[in-house]
Amino acid sequence: MAALIPNVISMKSEFIQATLETLYMTFGSAIIAAVLGLALGVWLVVTQPGGILADRVTYSILDKLTNLLRSVPFIILLAVISPLTNFLVGTTVGTTASLVPLIFGIFPFYARQVQNALLDVDHGVVEAAESMGSSPSEIIFRVYLKEGLPDIIRVSIVTVISLIGLTTMAGAIGSGGLGDIAISIGYARFENDITLVATLIILILVFAVQIIGDWLAKKVEHN
Amino acid sequence: MTANNIIELKNIDVTFHNGDQTVKAVQAVDLTIEKGDIYGIIGYSGAGKSTLVRVINLLQTPTNGTVTVNGQQLQQLAPAALRQARQKISMIFQHFNLMKSRTVLGNVEYPLLSQKISQAARQQKALQLLKLVGLADYAQTYPARLSGGQKQRVAIARALASDPEVLISDEATSALDPKTTKSILALLKKLNQDLGLTIVLITHEMQVIKSICHNVAVMDAGQIVERGRVAQVFTAPQAPLTVDFVETSTNVKAAIERITNTIDLAGLAANQELMYFNFIGNATKEGIISQYSQQYQLDVNILFANIDQIDGENVGYMIAIITGDLAAFNPAIAKRVADGVKTKIITTENGLEGLA
Ligand SMILES: Nc1ncnc2c1ncn2[C@@H]1O[C@H](COP(=O)(O)OP(=O)(O)OP(=O)(O)O)[C@@H](O)[C@H]1O
Ligand SMILES: [Mg+2]
Repeated sequence: MAALIPNVISMKSEFIQATLETLYMTFGSAIIAAVLGLALGVWLVVTQPGGILADRVTYSILDKLTNLLRSVPFIILLAVISPLTNFLVGTTVGTTASLVPLIFGIFPFYARQVQNALLDVDHGVVEAAESMGSSPSEIIFRVYLKEGLPDIIRVSIVTVISLIGLTTMAGAIGSGGLGDIAISIGYARFENDITLVATLIILILVFAVQIIGDWLAKKVEHN
Repeated sequence: MTANNIIELKNIDVTFHNGDQTVKAVQAVDLTIEKGDIYGIIGYSGAGKSTLVRVINLLQTPTNGTVTVNGQQLQQLAPAALRQARQKISMIFQHFNLMKSRTVLGNVEYPLLSQKISQAARQQKALQLLKLVGLADYAQTYPARLSGGQKQRVAIARALASDPEVLISDEATSALDPKTTKSILALLKKLNQDLGLTIVLITHEMQVIKSICHNVAVMDAGQIVERGRVAQVFTAPQAPLTVDFVETSTNVKAAIERITNTIDLAGLAANQELMYFNFIGNATKEGIISQYSQQYQLDVNILFANIDQIDGENVGYMIAIITGDLAAFNPAIAKRVADGVKTKIITTENGLEGLA
């Protein structure tokens, strides 16, 4: 073991620390991005033409805004957003500071995914709810989010996995985490075993998310 | 408005704009439906039936005209009041539109979620309705496990949960086999009789109208082309489309097609004629034949005959080749018309047209 991964053994505590940082960045930003993304995704679905609160102007603005936010490369977003980060967190470097760009990097993506998931909810069921006198908010919570839940869980998995990918880039603003170890130690010092183990841990996280998510989606689906 | 009219649509237009295309889905339709009626709307695909009934609960806002249900002019209602009114106008659909994330019981409970009643009372009411439609054993099942007929029964139970005055059925039996269709129609009839529920029923099958409706409107290209008591409309159809529905449902259309395809009309002898008879009430096939053969010395060779019951009245359809003295035909035909028998000589030119 010591011969195979010599540098990792001596850096065990750093690895534990980095894994916790990655988890913190992923799930810390995921929770807030989920709220923002769900809200934006629902808003897009209900305001789009033919939606229960169809509003051409609102939809067009939201649609363009989502595309705009999605088209900023993450590594640039890290820099561009720093004034906002400073305002919200009080600093522009460190693990907590990275949450701000992570949230803005992922929630527009998530909103689109949620929008697509909700568009798959049978329009006939929505119409049935309207005919039963349901209000727009009742339709959102009792029909769209409930009927769309299995798909929402699936797109959430995809999103969390993308988010894990983004956290590795946040090392550029001193966020720490597994990506940071792999680059600033493994890559910079030619200690390949560090890079390898960091990658492995990331893969394990990805698989764990995938498996738990699939299980959850199956559990709530009644096809 | 008469107190007895539960639905009054006045001068309804619905126009859709698809890009630069304009579709007049409903044009200048007046529709009055009495409380307790079972009112059928029949028409081919694209006639505007769904659009018209979606106007009744304002799921479709009409471009023009007024919608009055249960004495309330719906267009004047605030959103919350309109939602309240909608609870009294239930709807069932061709594809059932059940929520797959909820159990059968959960689906039936859905309309009650926004009412201020306890969970226990809500469940009890839903269970009672499931009993009414014969599905109490399936309360905890998810809709994906049910057959089409069972799904429609759940949809009916759900539709009844809000104690509606009106039930709109948009092709509710179109996805079901004939036997299941029959049982669903029987259930609707029972609800009409037991609860006094007014039913508006859309279909493209005349059989459905004949089996449970009292009144019918025939729709074509956004307009109602004929309407009235079912017996009257289908025994004495006026509009070509109505004739078409009648002849299709009684197989007359298929028979004429088959016969004109197999018999060379031009090749009939000079003293022969292919004739189509339509008779109502007391006139019978045997009566016509015996009268023709005795009084006019005609030979009647029947190629097709069918008797249909519409609202308790017998309606007969017959296609036959008549051989004999041609000079006797005219008085014979004139005589039969006076008896409530309509006849028509089928020629190569008019072979496929109806009797209108
Ligand atoms: N939301 C819509 N936007 C644009 N056109 C529409 C819309 N709804 C219906 N139409 C058009 O209006 C016409 C009538 O449609 P409708 O669905 O009312 O017919 P229908 O008689 O119910 O037919 P079917 O038997 O196929 O259900 C059709 O030409 C249809 O394409
Ligand atoms: Mg339709």
